[in-house]
Amino acid sequence: MHIMEGFLPSPWWQVWFLVSLPFIIIGLYQINKLVQEKREALPLLAVAGAFVFVLSSLKLPSFNGSCSHPTGTGLGAVLFGPCIAAVLGLIVLVFQAVFLAHGGITTLGANVFSMGIAGPAVAYLIYKVGTRAGANTYATVFVAAALADLATYVVTSVQLALAFPGTAGFLGAFSAFAAIFAVTQVPLAIIEGAVIMLVFKYIVQLKPEILTRLNLLSESTIKKLQEAAA
Amino acid sequence: MYEVLEDFAQENGLRQTSTSLKLLIGLSSILLCVSSPGPVAPLLVAASMSAVILALAKIPARFYARILLIPVSFAVMSIAVVLFITADGAVLIEVPGLPLTITTGGANLAVLLLARVFGGMCSLYFIALTTPMTEVFDILRRLRVPTVFIDLAMLTYRFIFILIEEAGQIYRSQVMRLGYGRFRESVQSFGMLSGALFLRTWESGEALVLAMDARCYDGRLGIPGDARPVSFLALAAALLYIGAVFGISLCTGGLVLV
Repeated sequence: MHIMEGFLPSPWWQVWFLVSLPFIIIGLYQINKLVQEKREALPLLAVAGAFVFVLSSLKLPSFNGSCSHPTGTGLGAVLFGPCIAAVLGLIVLVFQAVFLAHGGITTLGANVFSMGIAGPAVAYLIYKVGTRAGANTYATVFVAAALADLATYVVTSVQLALAFPGTAGFLGAFSAFAAIFAVTQVPLAIIEGAVIMLVFKYIVQLKPEILTRLNLLSESTIKKLQEAAA
Repeated sequence: MYEVLEDFAQENGLRQTSTSLKLLIGLSSILLCVSSPGPVAPLLVAASMSAVILALAKIPARFYARILLIPVSFAVMSIAVVLFITADGAVLIEVPGLPLTITTGGANLAVLLLARVFGGMCSLYFIALTTPMTEVFDILRRLRVPTVFIDLAMLTYRFIFILIEEAGQIYRSQVMRLGYGRFRESVQSFGMLSGALFLRTWESGEALVLAMDARCYDGRLGIPGDARPVSFLALAAALLYIGAVFGISLCTGGLVLV
């Protein structure tokens, strides 16, 4: 959920810019190094960014009538790591603000933190832990994507509660915001998990060399997955 | 599919105006809205920005009205929460049977937030509808933003439009084959769409690498920038406008430094 332009009051929008800044700087540094090693990395990162943008501008099928969209950045984090995903998230959020009027300029810092940093970091951690523990790859991807989506909304609730604690205090405000978002978001997070899992399945079946080249899955795991699907 | 605001940015009444001037006006209006302590200044910004968008940039009124509705769902949900959790001042309304009350403090805060969001969104639309992204890249370059970031943003920008087209085609053919009939099917179809899109994206990225290599790409994209001079009169008018809004925001609620 994008916090829109003008919603965060003065100390908070600057704070979230400052919090997001180090991640972006590390991400840019990593991209710079990657591009110097392999020139082909830049166009591939760009198409991944465009993919995240298009995916998040499509409406997810949802059964409760509310319209929402997947965040999509979880996939980027699993593929390239969380700091690079943060830079992609920043670019995508600027374009979303300017092309689609989702989000805004002053709230960019807060949105980058919730959607570009917190969500992808959760996805990345779960994916790493899951693959290391030898869990089922598809189940890991499902959990990673669904929890990344939820983490985004939890962080958004924290941001709103910090900015508007009201008289109920931070915890009271947080539970109010989280309750209202959780009701609308939990089903959508599950759908997003399922969708990203299907995307992963298509990649494994049709173009597994992407995953092996990025050192995400070994060839033996892919062979096992392909045999299981066949 | 969404109508992308960028289409209007390419051909509107203010297309030829200096990019830096438009960004100066838009961004400072946003900052004024966010830091204004009272609702008058943001509402003034909203009114003046809407007037400029409709009269000078000649954006169709019907389209503008529709995009103004985009942020409403988020605004309503979050402002409702703020309204109920702020218990400050006299009680205005009590919801019978529920521990929900609306107080004067909460209502004032809600009105202020609504005005800020409205003013901020109108200023954002002013930038989005009058300034093509390609010209913003040029400004970023002059501001010495890292080249790798600008190149990445430009390539992403280019691919967004190609991919939106492809996603639309896949989506329409899925709808024609009743791919979104039931809930289960729609999740399946949407996953298929995203998967196919990702693979096509990746392939077109690889094709782009080849094409760029064939044209001697050395890690740097060059684009010619064209600087349009800012007329003294336009700059003076812009500064006068910003100063006036700032003055009004000070008069209607005192100074807020941070």
